[in-house]
Amino acid sequence: MRTALHGPMYFLGLTFVGIGGLAQQADMPLGVVLLTTVLIWAGPAQVIFIGSIINGLSLPAIALSISLSSVRLLPMCVSLLPWLRGQKPSMLLTVFSTHQIAVTAWVESIRRLPDMPASERLAWFMGFTQTLFVGALAATGVGYLLAGALPKELAAGLLFVTPVYFTLALFRNARDAIDWSALALGFVLAPVSRSFLSPGFDLLFVGLIGGTTAWVIKRTLRRRASKSGGVVP
Amino acid sequence: MSADIWKWHWWSGGLWPYLAVIIFGFLPSEIWRLMSIFLVRGIDEKSEVLEWVRAVSTALLAAVVANIVVAPAGALQLVPLWARVGAMVLGFAAYFVLRKSVLAGVFTGVGAVIAAAIWLPVAR
Repeated sequence: MRTALHGPMYFLGLTFVGIGGLAQQADMPLGVVLLTTVLIWAGPAQVIFIGSIINGLSLPAIALSISLSSVRLLPMCVSLLPWLRGQKPSMLLTVFSTHQIAVTAWVESIRRLPDMPASERLAWFMGFTQTLFVGALAATGVGYLLAGALPKELAAGLLFVTPVYFTLALFRNARDAIDWSALALGFVLAPVSRSFLSPGFDLLFVGLIGGTTAWVIKRTLRRRASKSGGVVP
Repeated sequence: MSADIWKWHWWSGGLWPYLAVIIFGFLPSEIWRLMSIFLVRGIDEKSEVLEWVRAVSTALLAAVVANIVVAPAGALQLVPLWARVGAMVLGFAAYFVLRKSVLAGVFTGVGAVIAAAIWLPVAR
């Protein structure tokens, strides 16, 4: 909980103030946007959901683009879950803990969990994500009530919190060749792939190509290092 | 008319919008989280596969961020592309100068975007 009360909580809060404001613009009842925070619990997907309603898209089309944008949750959950099952949690608890996984929770947990004793990981994770949850809910409500009073220059700033925080957190997390190359490839390939692939699929393409290339680079470096008897990167 | 039933305004009365959030928002995203529970069985936390999955996640998240900077939605369009990239660079600079403080980096980057929105808005 103490971790959440530092940076991540503020950044997430500012993002959800933006989401609350967007929902007010869409004439959505406050209860409905709060429900999107509780159930969808993924900023980018919520922005798609509310933004598409403003643009008059049909609900099945919205569901499809949400699903495409949320494919990233699959590798995120797969890479985080093994760290959370030290105490052999029940199925229900496992389902509940995967629901908590979103970018902010992932980027902070993947860094901290490996250094923790196995018995403490799940409790820490739950405390951390529940705190984020409460903060995000409050921020959604505040954003909803403040919308209209918010100058558009400030709204632009709120929307920039997500990219700059995620970027810095990913850089802070990067430890070896595989992290650095995955990051660099993600940034470089994204603008290229969006020019020839439809939205949603471009991200999948970058993830698979960039991630696999980074993994191959690391393996090659390691093999070379072990051949020459050097230090493993 | 029949196609209209799939538009939000048909759903926007009473309890319908809550149901719409569950069917068209919650289920399509939650399915990926649930699927991970079955995929992760038998994978050890130190395994090579997991390292690959983590690299895929990192590349995906970097791409999500890059897309927001290159082609943003909403109010961020008020700021020209070079200023969005410039704000990111300033955020980075603050992060490194102030002993890897993410907080300092975020506030610098966001401050730069607000300044650009005030003084250098895209002509409409």
